[in-house]
Amino acid sequence: MTTAAHEAPIRTPLLSRRWRLFLGHSLAYLVMSALAFVFMVPLFWMLSTSLKSRWEVFAWPPQWIPVPAHWENFRLIFERVPLWRYAGNTVILVIGNLIGQLFAVPLVAYAFARLRFPGRNTLFFLMIATMMIPYQVTMIPLFTIFQRLGLVNTYVPLILPAFFGGPFFIFLMHQYIKTLPRDLDDAARIDGAGTWAILYQIILPLCRPPMTIVVVYTFWFTWNDFLHPLIYLNDISKFTIQLGLAMFRGRFDVEWNLLMAATLLAVLPLLIVYFFAQRHLIGGIASVGLKG
Amino acid sequence: MQPKKATRREFLRMSGLAVAGMAMATCAQPAPAPIQAPAAPAATSVPPTAAPAVKKPVTIQWWTVPSEEFSEEAQRKLVDAFHAAQNDVRVEISVLPENGFSEKMTTTLGAGEGAPDVSFFWTDAWLPQALDLAPWIARDKFDTGQYIKGFFDTHSQYKGTTVTLPLGVGANFVMYNVKVFDEAKVPYPDMSPDATEWLQMIVKLNDPAKKRWGGDRPRGPYRAIWLNFGARMYSDDGKTVEGYLNGPGSVAAYEWLWDLVQTNATPTPADIELLGTQGTGPVDLFMAGRLATATLNQGHMLNAMKAGLPFGIVREPGPTGKPRHVNSWSLAVGIWKGTKEPEAAWTFLKFWAGPEGQKFLMENGNLFPSIRSVLNQYPKADLPHVKAFFQILEDNPVRAITVRGWSNSGILNAVKDLWDNINLGKIKREEIKPALDKAVPAAQKALDEARAKVGL
Repeated sequence: MTTAAHEAPIRTPLLSRRWRLFLGHSLAYLVMSALAFVFMVPLFWMLSTSLKSRWEVFAWPPQWIPVPAHWENFRLIFERVPLWRYAGNTVILVIGNLIGQLFAVPLVAYAFARLRFPGRNTLFFLMIATMMIPYQVTMIPLFTIFQRLGLVNTYVPLILPAFFGGPFFIFLMHQYIKTLPRDLDDAARIDGAGTWAILYQIILPLCRPPMTIVVVYTFWFTWNDFLHPLIYLNDISKFTIQLGLAMFRGRFDVEWNLLMAATLLAVLPLLIVYFFAQRHLIGGIASVGLKG
Repeated sequence: MQPKKATRREFLRMSGLAVAGMAMATCAQPAPAPIQAPAAPAATSVPPTAAPAVKKPVTIQWWTVPSEEFSEEAQRKLVDAFHAAQNDVRVEISVLPENGFSEKMTTTLGAGEGAPDVSFFWTDAWLPQALDLAPWIARDKFDTGQYIKGFFDTHSQYKGTTVTLPLGVGANFVMYNVKVFDEAKVPYPDMSPDATEWLQMIVKLNDPAKKRWGGDRPRGPYRAIWLNFGARMYSDDGKTVEGYLNGPGSVAAYEWLWDLVQTNATPTPADIELLGTQGTGPVDLFMAGRLATATLNQGHMLNAMKAGLPFGIVREPGPTGKPRHVNSWSLAVGIWKGTKEPEAAWTFLKFWAGPEGQKFLMENGNLFPSIRSVLNQYPKADLPHVKAFFQILEDNPVRAITVRGWSNSGILNAVKDLWDNINLGKIKREEIKPALDKAVPAAQKALDEARAKVGL
């Protein structure tokens, strides 16, 4: 075999390494650009629709760049629905939910990951099992509880559950904490740190990736939540952005142009959050996934 | 590092205390709303004898939705008008998104708590939760005869009693786009179009190059077109399927659908799924000129009028010489039977669905009232399409034949495959009758079960 290998002619590549790299990168960029274009089409359609008159939306052939552009749609949406107010209401809910999740999730996850107590595994299993229960099953009992507490038509039912921690987030953080060496805890304990200090001064600073996921997903879930605010809020002045968007759907038809204009504005905060958090988010998911 | 002496046990204890504290704080919210008994029929069990003197203003909750027929603004003005008319009842209005109203109502009615005092009851499944209005109607001698008969009889009754009042009227009809007809040089259809001629007409209007269809397809069997063909699901006594579901009328209607599909002048179910956007009819395609004709309703008509689109209105097609039918409806409005304030709720319901409220919504919105004397005052009654709409309202209502106090869904399920196969072009025309014959046993079983469920 060694002889045969020696006898084989030395093949010189058709292209130099530099060219191969150039072509490889070009191809990768081409594919990624094509994919990016495909993913951008709905966003562009949304923008295009938001600038059309009401009945141009389904015209054939489709007008990707409407002439004339109906910029007044962006004014009309605020005349039709108090979107600023609804956005403000939603921000209150987002902040409340973020505080709740960031308070509860590390506590519970740390307890499950590090502390030993009777029934820990059973409780953890039960908590995981709650993720399997469809919301429709708990919707009416939860409504009954909050109604009897006199909390319907307040933001409390929309914020309070976050203070008990989302099971998905707890699971995520639990898996992440388990990957951190216990030696860190032990070293801190030898230095005299108590459980709280270990959690808040040693573990949490290392949990940036999963915490980013908690923040972004909580923001995302809360911002996009339609059903919970719908069920718990009666007063129109307390409505959220998603309920506001639903107001553009009538009984008999949908004002697509206005709905798309409003939706475009409604997704902007999500895009901004994602833009700033994407590095941590992708890194977080990858690290949790790899180490978990 | 600061020394912290908390042990794990202490940590767990403090975590537990924190959670308990939050729970207690939650429970300690001030002034909780009074607990209502789940769906307590208290209001129904005490038939009112006389209108009691109201001591102080009572506040009730009214849930509604905005619509082409009654905007949010018009309904808020209605509340103002109601407040101006009397001092005993205050109404707190919640204008909810139409998309989601059903979920909210279903949740609160299912919970037996938190439902509004007065609202729409447009889903049959909610009717058991509606207050029996018969004693109130009798006490106040409320004139139910003022409502257009077909609409009161078929939309307000549940288990032999009146549980709702009919607000407004609506109906399906065919709208045709005048510009498309002119462009294709096709004469406008007759007021009562013949089913066979209809097929020829939509073929002429079809233009694949412009992605334009001549017409749409029916959205289900045993509606107006089926009944126009003389089709029935079962016998008049509601006991027998054989000879009706597979009778000549049914076969003819399904064969007409088969012919319609084969014209290739209608959007496929997939097209409609993608472009139809609303279950109430492909209004977007019609308004964009991509459907020359479409089965729509009075809400769509109002939108077309607002957009200034030239259009006309005719009945849904049927065989010439046979009586015509119409899918018509009214919005059922009622009182939740768990209400704590039935008297106040009745006061408002009477106003909302009575002549004053419907007239107000007609004049300040676009409601077509279900009360004949008010409908006769409709301000735009001279417009040709409004006239046509009023004419169609007089046809035989489909509900009068198909609504029998039990669910027909099992029977329709028995013929669902046939419907799908025709729409997908997967069945030959001559296979329709055998397919209906084959569906009869399952349909008969479904009918028997549906009747048994309501004690028949």
